[in-house]
Amino acid sequence: MRHATLAIILFAAGLSGGQALADQPRFIDAHVHYSHDAWDRLPPEAAIRILRDAGLAQVFVSSSSDEGTQRLYQAAPDLIVPVLRPYRNRGELSTWFRDPTAAEHVEARLKQYRYAGIGEFHIYGADADGPVMRRLVQLAKEYKLFLHAHGDAEAVRRLFAQDPEARILWAHAGFVPPAEVRAMLAAYPTLWADLAFRNDHAADGRVDPAWRALFEAYPDRFMAGTDTFTPERWYYIGEHARWTRAWLADLPGPLAENIAWRNAATLARWQATP
Amino acid sequence: MKVLALALLALFVAHPARAIDAAEREAILLHGPWPPEATPDPSNRASGDPAAIALGQRLFFDVRLSRDLDRACASCHLPAQAYADGRPRGEGLRPLDRNTIALANLGGRRWYGWDGRSDSLWAQSLHPIVDERELAASGTLLRDRLEREHDAVFGPADDDEIFLVDIAKALAAWQETLVTPRSAFDDYRDALEAGDAAGMAAYPVAARRGLSLFVGRGQCATCHFGPSFSNGEFDSVGINYFLGPDGVDRGRHGGIAALLASPFNLLGRHNDDSARTTAAPTTHVALLHRNWGEFRVPSLRGVKATAPYMHDGSLATLAEVARHYSEIDLDRLHQDGQLTLQPLHLTEAEIADLVAFLETL
Repeated sequence: MRHATLAIILFAAGLSGGQALADQPRFIDAHVHYSHDAWDRLPPEAAIRILRDAGLAQVFVSSSSDEGTQRLYQAAPDLIVPVLRPYRNRGELSTWFRDPTAAEHVEARLKQYRYAGIGEFHIYGADADGPVMRRLVQLAKEYKLFLHAHGDAEAVRRLFAQDPEARILWAHAGFVPPAEVRAMLAAYPTLWADLAFRNDHAADGRVDPAWRALFEAYPDRFMAGTDTFTPERWYYIGEHARWTRAWLADLPGPLAENIAWRNAATLARWQATP
Repeated sequence: MKVLALALLALFVAHPARAIDAAEREAILLHGPWPPEATPDPSNRASGDPAAIALGQRLFFDVRLSRDLDRACASCHLPAQAYADGRPRGEGLRPLDRNTIALANLGGRRWYGWDGRSDSLWAQSLHPIVDERELAASGTLLRDRLEREHDAVFGPADDDEIFLVDIAKALAAWQETLVTPRSAFDDYRDALEAGDAAGMAAYPVAARRGLSLFVGRGQCATCHFGPSFSNGEFDSVGINYFLGPDGVDRGRHGGIAALLASPFNLLGRHNDDSARTTAAPTTHVALLHRNWGEFRVPSLRGVKATAPYMHDGSLATLAEVARHYSEIDLDRLHQDGQLTLQPLHLTEAEIADLVAFLETL
């Protein structure tokens, strides 16, 4: 099974860049932004073409502002899973949690559009207990949404303290070593982790032993993503998908499928219509 | 004890810019001495060989290296402009994507080119010869034109590829001899090391203030360190890397991919280092997500003469470079990938000081 998957990957890698790659292993990219500085360079049609060329089944998109996510969703509702970012522009990354209007903005958007989650937001330490962050946790509970949190373990613990039943996607698995990720996953059954912008779990199509053990211990908790934090990184989405499929082929089929798409689909519980 | 006190006093009063504490002194001294001792490149049997150096120098200016006999290396690497060309981006047979990199202090580097696609100076020297946008020649073509000169230095080549590599090795052997001269900064640095108050006092006050910024609050020396003012690696510093309307310059990511696919890397048959110790970095280089859009941390030696700046020549002056870093857009850097670069909000006077310092290199 693994060899068959690898053969498909190698075949696909030989295709021209613009060719549709529908026969590639199913993959959901759980970490994409389509922020204001990407819109002129990459209109929605061009952005969607990049996602489809990468053979992605679905894409979690959060943007600064949310207008970007809505533009993409309108262009490809079958592909885009909208996630609501509290930032109205990317400059709010380190200030939003002190700004009450950020929570008001999220609340207003939730009334207007449908989302699978709230995030990705950046939050560290005790800032997670501030009133703006607390309001987002409440809204996530009320609307049954996951929280996509980019922060340290302390912030994640504080979010769970506010709502022990919260469903949290830990962006970049906190950029902490696998042992610390393991401890967090053990402590919080509704914590998932994306592996965006990390390289330590795999190289040259082979999974690191410590990460392999972690994936096997928590097969339902991991997913992959690109993180298009600048518009230029949209052109990395296809390369990232190839890289990810290569190391997924080093895992047993069911586990690879979980990380490739099933865990993301489970977390999102996304339905386009009420 | 009395001598030490006098020496410290001399340090504090010798220069009106400000006093130097032990940490700053140490940071400054790390940027020398200069020039470095020349050491041959084990991967290049022509390195240090006078006949090969002479051949390389001649060939650098020789249009026979181009397919159409109309261009030479020196058509873009102009001797009067520090072997750069003064343009934002190079102009070969067709427009190029990046700024023409100046040629000096090239010996002993680990990677070459804005994206580090070469692990030796000779491999980097080969690229423009065969690139269809630059000289558009080939090993076969060069062999037809240069066999006599080549054989006089290297002896007969077994095949055209070896011939091409030999020519590149001669070019590299000559380029290794291009070393920027001692600068006003070097005089200051050595005076500081020697405790020579009079020597230190000769360094311009504004440059001294700029140097303090460079090794201190600016954290410039985190990447631009050592005698060559570069860590020799690659980074993303917030510069746009789109190419045209529908593409990007992959930077270091593309460079690593090209390096590993190249028959001319140090893992291949053309490496003259039988022990292969020179190939260790290539063996271990890994392709990382962060490499996408990273470019060389350039040496700052002789930087005054190499405008415009950055991989795409998008900043015309050193003052523009200083302003770019001073007001750097953190949104263009990954939150967890880049901790050194922070907006400094320098005053215009501080920017002028920083430029004054850079111009003394």
